[in-house]
Amino acid sequence: MSIANESRRKFLKASTLATGGLAISIHLPAHAIAFSDNAQESTFSPNAFIHIQDNGDVLIYCGRCEMGQGINTALPAAVADEMDADWQKVTVKQADGNEEKYGPQATGGSASIRVMLTPMREAGASAKVMLIAAAAKVWNVEPSTCHAQKHAVYHQASGKKLSYGELASLAAKQTVPETVTLKAKKDFNYIGKFIPNQNIEQIIKGQLTYGVDTKLPGLKYAAIVHCPVLGGKLKSLNDKDARAIKGVIDVVVIDRLAIPYGSIGGVAVVADNSWTAQQAVKKLNIDWDLGENAHYDTKKYKAQLVKNVEAPAQLVTERGNLTEGLTNAAKTLKATYTGGHLVHAPMEPNASVVWVKDDSCEVWAATQSPADIQKVLAQFLGREAKDIEVHVTMSGGAFGRKFKCDYVHEAAAISQKINAPVQLTWTREEDTKTGYYHSINAQHIEAGIDEQGNIKGWLHRVAFPSIGTLFNPAQIRPSDGDFSAVDNYPYGIENFRSESGEAKAHTRIGWYRAVYAIFYGFSFSSFTDELAYLAGKDPLTYLNQLYDNNTNPDQQEQAARSKHVVNLAAKKAGWFERDKLPKNQAIGLAVHYSFQSYVAMAVRVEVNDEDIKVLQVDSAIDCGQVLNVNGATAQMEGAVVMGMGLALRTEVTFREGAVVNTNFHNYPVMRINEMPQVNVHIVDSEHPSTGLGEPGVAPFAPALSNAVFAASGKRYRDIPFKPMSV
Amino acid sequence: MEKMIIINGEKYQIDVDSNMPLLWFLRDRLEITGTKFGCGAGLCGACTVHVDGVATRACVTPVGALADKKVTTIEGLSVDGDHPLQKAWVENNVPQCGYCQAGQIMNAASFLQQNPTPSSDEIDNAMQGNICRCGTYQRIKKAIADAADELAKEVS
Ligand code: FES
Ligand code: FES
Repeated sequence: MSIANESRRKFLKASTLATGGLAISIHLPAHAIAFSDNAQESTFSPNAFIHIQDNGDVLIYCGRCEMGQGINTALPAAVADEMDADWQKVTVKQADGNEEKYGPQATGGSASIRVMLTPMREAGASAKVMLIAAAAKVWNVEPSTCHAQKHAVYHQASGKKLSYGELASLAAKQTVPETVTLKAKKDFNYIGKFIPNQNIEQIIKGQLTYGVDTKLPGLKYAAIVHCPVLGGKLKSLNDKDARAIKGVIDVVVIDRLAIPYGSIGGVAVVADNSWTAQQAVKKLNIDWDLGENAHYDTKKYKAQLVKNVEAPAQLVTERGNLTEGLTNAAKTLKATYTGGHLVHAPMEPNASVVWVKDDSCEVWAATQSPADIQKVLAQFLGREAKDIEVHVTMSGGAFGRKFKCDYVHEAAAISQKINAPVQLTWTREEDTKTGYYHSINAQHIEAGIDEQGNIKGWLHRVAFPSIGTLFNPAQIRPSDGDFSAVDNYPYGIENFRSESGEAKAHTRIGWYRAVYAIFYGFSFSSFTDELAYLAGKDPLTYLNQLYDNNTNPDQQEQAARSKHVVNLAAKKAGWFERDKLPKNQAIGLAVHYSFQSYVAMAVRVEVNDEDIKVLQVDSAIDCGQVLNVNGATAQMEGAVVMGMGLALRTEVTFREGAVVNTNFHNYPVMRINEMPQVNVHIVDSEHPSTGLGEPGVAPFAPALSNAVFAASGKRYRDIPFKPMSV
Repeated sequence: MEKMIIINGEKYQIDVDSNMPLLWFLRDRLEITGTKFGCGAGLCGACTVHVDGVATRACVTPVGALADKKVTTIEGLSVDGDHPLQKAWVENNVPQCGYCQAGQIMNAASFLQQNPTPSSDEIDNAMQGNICRCGTYQRIKKAIADAADELAKEVS
């Protein structure tokens, strides 16, 4: 492919396809990580491609990883919209791992839309300008007298028409526009509409291939058992019984690779099928030296975290005069909130195929971050990252787990040892016991209010093992950066102090869908509800008062948009008619801003003694201009399911350093028979589009807790409310 | 004598350890991968197939016990993805990641065979063995109800 034209902005490139037609590439910062917004600061390099073939077929590469969140529908459909392409003629292809070419691919932090949407739309709009320019040239008319519509360019005056296929090659020779105007809302064909998941036909026929589905000639299958405790080591191994099983090919010891996302260490068995490998792993006789974390016990640890936040801790942020605020308050309130570890448990466990050869290394993986695979394998194999070829497969769910590629590192170690392509699939038990867990946590809040309920002072102490410990094991408390959601909460609090309590990590901590928003959403929305009762006001009136009285200029947008969604959710849920509900029913409200999106939930429950039944959830979202109504709604429905599981039941328990939970019988995720009716209400917003993969999870638990309190007078401050004893 | 099994209408020889679960015979021996591994212990339903028309957890069913049985997987449920449930799944945009969906559809298909006019509670009961971690339950329920209505129309 030769570069035909290049815009002076060095942003878009057009070229002619070898097969004829137009190819547009976008230059995007390659190194912007998923969790930062300042994408502009990095260097530019060529990115995702749009290909228009001479037959009119359009191929759009999706550089971001798809795991069910719908990015490979939402982004390409927005490109097609700007191009005035016919979505039926568009094929979407998952791009291989190549950040030089496709820009940042690490898919997390609900950032894909924030980072990628504008450049992708501009690429689509540029393609359209070039297609119009090509047609105008053929007809020898002014481009301004032509327009594009559904995969063709028209000349109004003469009624002439040329299809995109007919124009593709010619368009490649046109100048890339310096600037393009993006479509106005009224002209959208796909943006903001209901677009089906573009993989759906393959899914219902069982044809979509996931990380577990890669097949290669000569493929060998592996299973693994890990060291149960972080930092432990293999003391002795007797693999005689395992090797005696028919079909077993080899036993491979994998040492811990103490870099972020390296294996924790384990022993793998390779066989000619996965089942034999799994059976043989059970026959391994292993003695572990469990090391310094062998005493980790989550029950004791949580109690310690509570102590650490109920006593003075390390100052993070101070505004105004907290002591004065609390002393002068008419009423004060203290509460401590806690939560346990969670494991992602996507339906597809960790799986990949790796083939390490002397001169190459090829990977097929369900992953959220192909670049991290390149980095980790490069380090492990002593090669260059660019020499690790990564094919990104569909992920059968991920929720943050597949950002970390320890399982790919292990497959590489096995392949290197046996000199063959290897598929390593973790069992559910290993997936549960060898996670990167959502942090166990404790928060203590003390606040004072005046006679009207206005907040006069707020102390917020937090302790949890931070994700930062993955990169800096010496970190023993949440970092200042971990507090931004606490320090900037949109109540305009003048007398404020936040403190970080000690919390050393004894296991691997990782991003779990919604991350810290899970516990920050829980503490803020629960405590606000408690303050409303203290002030003698109904919770919605009280929330509105807090937002209305917020005079902090930096928080106005947050306050206004939060207020809007919570009022919408309340209204839709029948908040104002709630006195008509049976005595044992009530509605609880919560709202949380995370990943730059706003989500409120109104949860209606029925409480009979200890039994909590969730009847209905009304979820209101403001994610700016919504891209795909179908995808956005699905994300909210799914967030309720996940939020409900973590609010009510799921918790990972450690005893003697190791995880006690093993499979779905003792990690009881939600099932269909417990699901409430979920109604999703999307705010018609002109704000820039933001992501929705995570923000829906946070408000569920506090809304439920507030509802249960309203119905029964019982206040749950520890999630899950009803842990299963394991 | 060689033991044979019929999968999606084709005959295959059972040429593995007879204790091997059907799931792994399908996935690793025959490389028919539409049937998924989720838990390996009968807890999640991702591996659901039909054995002589009845929903069965392939991860806990030894292939040796299936001599001369007819197995249907998601790939063989219909000729062209046009089973009423598959159509209802598309109509209702059920899947997110899709990983659990083969199991969901196979379980629902066998259930509707036995109970063509299910109530909402009966759908819940029948489907509670199938986990969807993405949380598509609401749409699954609606799609099953729609497919049942469609089947009722076809019959009348
Ligand atoms: S894999 Fe068979 S029930 Fe889960
Ligand atoms: S659609 Fe992802 S697990 Fe069900």
